[in-house]
Amino acid sequence: MIKTIAKPREKKITGCGECRSTCQSACKTSCTVGNQSCERITREQKIDGQK
Amino acid sequence: MIHVFQYHDDYYVYDTGSGSLHIADERTAKYLGGEPVCLTDEELAEIAALKAEGLLDAPETDARPIKREEIKALCLHICHDCNLRCKYCFADEGAYHAAREMMSFETAKAAIDFLLEKSGKRKVLEVDFFGGEPLMNLNVVKRTVYYAKEEAAKRGKRFLFTTTTNGLLLDDETIRFFNEEMENVVLSLDGRKEVHDEVRKTVNGKGSFDAVIEKIKKFVRARGDKHYYVRGTFTAKNLDFSKDVLFLADQGFDSLSVEPVVTEIPDLEIKEEHLPVIEQEYDALCDAYIEREKEGKGFNFFHFNVDLEGGPCLEKRVSACGAGNEYFSVVPSGDIYPCHQFAGDPKWKMGNVFEGTLDPAIRGKFANSCLFTREKCKDCFAKFICSGGCSANNYHFNGDIEKPYEITCAMMKKRVECAMRVLAARKSKEI
Repeated sequence: MIKTIAKPREKKITGCGECRSTCQSACKTSCTVGNQSCERITREQKIDGQK
Repeated sequence: MIHVFQYHDDYYVYDTGSGSLHIADERTAKYLGGEPVCLTDEELAEIAALKAEGLLDAPETDARPIKREEIKALCLHICHDCNLRCKYCFADEGAYHAAREMMSFETAKAAIDFLLEKSGKRKVLEVDFFGGEPLMNLNVVKRTVYYAKEEAAKRGKRFLFTTTTNGLLLDDETIRFFNEEMENVVLSLDGRKEVHDEVRKTVNGKGSFDAVIEKIKKFVRARGDKHYYVRGTFTAKNLDFSKDVLFLADQGFDSLSVEPVVTEIPDLEIKEEHLPVIEQEYDALCDAYIEREKEGKGFNFFHFNVDLEGGPCLEKRVSACGAGNEYFSVVPSGDIYPCHQFAGDPKWKMGNVFEGTLDPAIRGKFANSCLFTREKCKDCFAKFICSGGCSANNYHFNGDIEKPYEITCAMMKKRVECAMRVLAARKSKEI
């Protein structure tokens, strides 16, 4: 048995550059991008949510 | 690349090429892990279907980072002094191996002008007020925020501000200012009183826990739903750091990050021999984390989040941390360094905000650095989540920004597995 738990919604190679620099927000000793979300998507969702 | 890992009776299968996570039974997991297992036709068909869908054994991206001239973020060393004397401080207890000094408003203003001028078409810019202890120079922080907002508005841009503070000087007025202006606030607190007091000392050599805990609690209560992190550091002296994370959660802090110390101080340094204990500790923390979430008492632990469905684009995932290329540190003199961890090292001085220049050789070195230039990352399952790790750690421990520091890598890999366990637990409706 093998069951898919999570897969990317789409395979994106967008590189819009609007995302945050990795080491800025949460900590100053460990850089990781895996726990970031796409800044553009997040921002657009916020804007939609406010409408 | 397929990465198979086990925790208790559960088997997890992560496909690096597609970024997909699966759970499997023991036989399938072992087969995918390369062990000699004879699967049934039905089991083989399941695997074939996932491969056909591009969710297993998928080819990995070879997308290279896009070369950009624009700058997106600055870390302003607003104060090269501190009101604490933490034993493990990488910044020489705030002084960065030089004279203790404050950044003037003129320097901060020049830094903001530099960032705005070099930011190209980018709309959202970031400034992190860092130290030392930034609240020792709060007036300049405030003037810089107001100036930056005014100048950004003229250009159709906006700033996201972050402050990292030890909390000692937090008062009602500062809390109000932070809640109005700071997109994120990082507050340093290591956990249990005895753990915190062992390393985070006042100038007089006393522990600082009692002096900060109520102030940080007050700040968090007033913070509402805005971002903050209570951020701790663990050392070789508290390898049972899961207790500190849970202690912090018990204090009512629901956004936490506890990081391994980066130091070569003998009794504090994390060494290879500590790794088995640390890995067990992350597992124990992960168990408690999932359990608390099930009980409706969940909290956010920075490293146990992984967004496999909507996370950053592949270009971001291969671009390393951005230090020295799109993100820089500025010290009180206005000198520019690749990031705060390089500050004060003359070899890495890149320019000065008053001159508006950046050393092309140093910038080129960082701009050309990416996941694919870090040879050791090639065979790592966590590479598209870690993005190649911290260039400064690599340099300080291995002498080369391209050579990942193995101890940090081991901890990162463990945390990524834990984050995947959390994700699987949530998706499996266990939570």
